[in-house]
Amino acid sequence: MNHRKKAGASVVAVTAAAMLLASCSSGGGGTSSAGDGTGDVEVWAHQGKDSEVAALQDAVANFNASQSDITVNLTLVPEADYTTTIQSTSASDLPDVLELDGPTLANFVYDAKVAPIGDYVSQATIDNASAGNVNQGTVDGTLYALAQFNSGLGLCANGALLDDAGVTYPDSIDSAWTADEFRSALQTLAAANDSGYALDIKENYGLGGEWGTYAFSPLLQSAGGNLIADNEASGVIDGPESVSAMEAFQSWLPYVDPNEDDAAFVDGRVAISWCGHWMYPGYSEALGDDLVILPLPDMGTGTKSGAGSWTWGMGSTTGQGTAAGAFLDYLLNDQNVAAMTAANGAPPATKSVLASDALYSAGGPLELWGKQLEASCNADAITSDCVTVLRPLTAGYPVITSEFASALSAIATGGDVQSALTGAATAIDQSFADNNDYQ
Amino acid sequence: MSNPTVVRTRRRAFRWSRRDLPGATMAAPGIIGLLAFVAAPFLVAVVLSFYNAQLNSPRSPNFIGITQYSRLFSDPQFWRAFGNNLTFAAVVIPVQTAIALGLAMLINRRLRGISIFRALFFLPVIFPMALVAVIWRLILSRSEDGLLNSLVHFVTFGQVGAQDWLGNSATAMPSIILLSIWQGVGFQMIILLAGLQEIPQERYEAAQLDRASRWQQFRYVTLPGLRNTLIFVVLLTSILAFRVYDQVYILITSGGANKAATQTVLYQATTSVFDQNNLGRASAITVVFFAIVLAITVVQRRVVRQESEA
Repeated sequence: MNHRKKAGASVVAVTAAAMLLASCSSGGGGTSSAGDGTGDVEVWAHQGKDSEVAALQDAVANFNASQSDITVNLTLVPEADYTTTIQSTSASDLPDVLELDGPTLANFVYDAKVAPIGDYVSQATIDNASAGNVNQGTVDGTLYALAQFNSGLGLCANGALLDDAGVTYPDSIDSAWTADEFRSALQTLAAANDSGYALDIKENYGLGGEWGTYAFSPLLQSAGGNLIADNEASGVIDGPESVSAMEAFQSWLPYVDPNEDDAAFVDGRVAISWCGHWMYPGYSEALGDDLVILPLPDMGTGTKSGAGSWTWGMGSTTGQGTAAGAFLDYLLNDQNVAAMTAANGAPPATKSVLASDALYSAGGPLELWGKQLEASCNADAITSDCVTVLRPLTAGYPVITSEFASALSAIATGGDVQSALTGAATAIDQSFADNNDYQ
Repeated sequence: MSNPTVVRTRRRAFRWSRRDLPGATMAAPGIIGLLAFVAAPFLVAVVLSFYNAQLNSPRSPNFIGITQYSRLFSDPQFWRAFGNNLTFAAVVIPVQTAIALGLAMLINRRLRGISIFRALFFLPVIFPMALVAVIWRLILSRSEDGLLNSLVHFVTFGQVGAQDWLGNSATAMPSIILLSIWQGVGFQMIILLAGLQEIPQERYEAAQLDRASRWQQFRYVTLPGLRNTLIFVVLLTSILAFRVYDQVYILITSGGANKAATQTVLYQATTSVFDQNNLGRASAITVVFFAIVLAITVVQRRVVRQESEA
């Protein structure tokens, strides 16, 4: 009897597993269709800052009011869980229109969760998108997503504190601090500050998350290393250039404020903050004219910076392609792009708005970051002129970012650089080998 | 009503009597729930651990045999995480039980306002672990203004400088243990308090007549009287200790905690599946972990039973 029970249990197990495997394999292959251009359009977006949410909600309300054929229903998902939510939702349950974090796009294409948008979005919208925007949204030559805004990354510095400490600072991309100059600047600034600190690297965001990869993988690329090359991480992410960049990073840590309250920079506890565009509005308000914008340190082959941000795509099984395309056209028009970038301080990702943008165009306070974005390239084609590097456009990106960020946080707590990076390289290569290089 | 034929055939095969039926019927929802939500997912995990399965991928998983297991057993990170689990359990189980017992005896008195103390000691249990972790992140901050660093600075008259409690591999796990005990001890305390109040007062009076000292009263009256409660508390604490996850996850991802020194097996499993989509590896980790924890629990129960027989 005992035997029979066991046999029964294993039958249950095998059946359940088979069902689960079947459900795993039935998710994809969705095909989008145009629909008749009327009816409801479901939209998912991440819940960012209040001002961003308001801009998005206004856009949706205005779109619904501007015509009577299409009704857009917006669902907001908390930012921290957004990508996981998309990842764990099967393709058939995804909405007609969804927001995506740029570097995750290739993985969602690989998992057949997003549809090509070229047939549904108007050509004028595509033509008006900046080159970096189209680049970020293109996988294997097909356009899957377009963004309202790009991102800017560099250093924000407190000019008054730098001057008081007698530290001179770079004023252009070409004159970026070298790693050694940066460390000695930090040393001087830390000695001059009562807090004993000089730098904020937004540890409160968590270095083990996407912030870690976005903000600090440019250091590898600036040193001549990279995250991955030709689907191979060994010898790249843990090559001598990458190791030297991370060792330099480790040498800055004694000057880094833990920043639990996210106020290290605005309170003057540090003179320099590793700085994304979304920090600019708050910093600018707190520091006024003392705020100066600098490029990230040059680790050897010229300063490199990050690019890419939230972008808009369509669910792979949408039956509302035309209506969804009409909404995306509306979302990406001048009025809504300008409203969104005014709300979050981001560089606009459309040519027409960027040209007239008060922050990023020539003479604006963030002109330096605007110039950085003009010199943009993909991670597999980095040239010496290129400054902003998109994160690798591969379906294996979730593994790359998870492993690099976790190595980074090990390094940030004093771990051995070479062994942390080699561990990441091994895990990434294993995952690529298991999954046929995510082709 | 029920079908009598079925009952009769069953009675012959399984020697059931009719009066077992209501019991079986009432147990059925629970048993079905256990099978559907505990047994089935676990068995699915066993099956998936032999596949290269990606979370929610349109491609069907391919069979790779014991590859996930052989990788796991040769992965120093996994063993480090498991070692962290063992360290956590080895310290938390005895220390937390002892402190809970001490607190329970302290508040088991008839004093004016004792219920306020009981409430205060129990309060951290009500806090979600996420909240506790965020608060302790501030206490353990490596900056000079961190609460613990300020205290150390004050007590040692500035002789000891600021420490990176969570980042340093030597103090990271003790820090996590400390905050976990602080959060969890009230729960065990309440159970032990109930146990203490079950012990008849006459036994203490008899012990006093025999001129037993305080220690002898504790050793020969309190401890034997609490025996069953203590066994329950130790088992419960063991299971909770091996499940440690929330505080580790929060402090690693946003508190600058030393990952190598604090990550646990469950942390590795969730990272594999939710950050890297690697369902197969996560399944293998949970299966291995289940087997180990099961073995430890069985040994623990056997040891306790032997003592009761002696």
